[in-house]
Amino acid sequence: MEELILKLKKEIIEVLNLEDVKPEEIDANAPLFVDGLGLDSIDALELIVLMEKNYGIKLKDASQGKEIFKSVAVMAEYIQANRTK
Amino acid sequence: MKDVFIIDAQQISVQNPLSHDWMEHPIAYHEPYRRAIDPDFKQYFTPNEARRYGKILKRALLTARKVMENTAINNPDAIITGTGLGCVENTELFLEALTFEGEEMLKPTHFMQSTHNTISSLIAIDAKCHGYNSTYAHKGISFECALLDAFMQLSQGEITTALVGGHDEMTPKYFSMLEKTGYLGHAKDGFSGETAVSMMLSSEKNMKAMCRIKHVEMAYGEEVNGVEGVDIDAVMIGVNGATENDAVYAHIGQNLFPEKPLLHYKHVFGESYTASGLGLYAVATCLQQQRIPAHLFVNQNQKELQGVKNILFYNQFENKNHSLILLSSCGE
Repeated sequence: MEELILKLKKEIIEVLNLEDVKPEEIDANAPLFVDGLGLDSIDALELIVLMEKNYGIKLKDASQGKEIFKSVAVMAEYIQANRTK
Repeated sequence: MKDVFIIDAQQISVQNPLSHDWMEHPIAYHEPYRRAIDPDFKQYFTPNEARRYGKILKRALLTARKVMENTAINNPDAIITGTGLGCVENTELFLEALTFEGEEMLKPTHFMQSTHNTISSLIAIDAKCHGYNSTYAHKGISFECALLDAFMQLSQGEITTALVGGHDEMTPKYFSMLEKTGYLGHAKDGFSGETAVSMMLSSEKNMKAMCRIKHVEMAYGEEVNGVEGVDIDAVMIGVNGATENDAVYAHIGQNLFPEKPLLHYKHVFGESYTASGLGLYAVATCLQQQRIPAHLFVNQNQKELQGVKNILFYNQFENKNHSLILLSSCGE
């Protein structure tokens, strides 16, 4: 799981163009939206694309995102359980 | 008809950004393709803005913010942009994803920034301007169309202030394609650059006004009429070192402006679809300082000219679209 969390942090930095953020600076348990990284709704769409592209997970219900994108750790757990690639 | 003034203008190009340094010390280039010199955007944008906006948006927004700040006109009546290629860097990313990964995994940020009118709309959102907002995307005459729109509305009293911009970025891939078509990259001594220029126009004269726009004329398929009854000090033209392009200026120059000193600007700023925006900015800067530096003269033996009052700006695109803009000093 630690390996997946680190990989996910790197992917989030790349896909959201977080130039000044290093993986170790992201608290895996901190909220991704509003507080923490301060992401917004457009970023949520980027994360949905990331999950589908890199892990083969297609979110059918957009409202699921609120729970899945709670933190990097929660996102990693969901990916671990649902990934198809 | 009301008078129309350029109150302030700012640029980001291959010269030092947000500066008139090029008047004294233009940076010379000898390669066919140069990207703009960007300022440190982190000084001007929040982290969220900096990471999300593409280069052209940052350049456009920053030059727009600067002129609004310098003129204290924070809510112009109109925001009008000319852009030949729009946000082409993001358009490329979006189209590449569409081509190689299909339609289902397209990144929203690239999509939002892949349209031409993103520039004008972003400036309006940033400045909270709810007035007239328009974008002209007509290749090499995009900037002139934007300027003409603003000039007509201002001179007829429809509006009092207008933020007019000319913005184009050039990606390596797009340059390579234009090189193959022969449009860019084949000039003997010219080069391809990038343009971001914003200027604030007003029908109210301001103590800081750079110059007055006296005449704007555009013509398609026929040569322009010229300007009579004005003692023109010099004519700025868009020669860029490419044989076909320069031949048009040589022919028309002989007919329309015989014996007038010719000026050029693309050796300083490079060629791009909205390079004429930088050309007009260069003329406005000369009139503001009431001098033309020696390096702007086509005739290399000409020395700096002081006390200039009227400069005519002539631009043409593919010998089909022609435009004449007459600018005059406010110190007359």
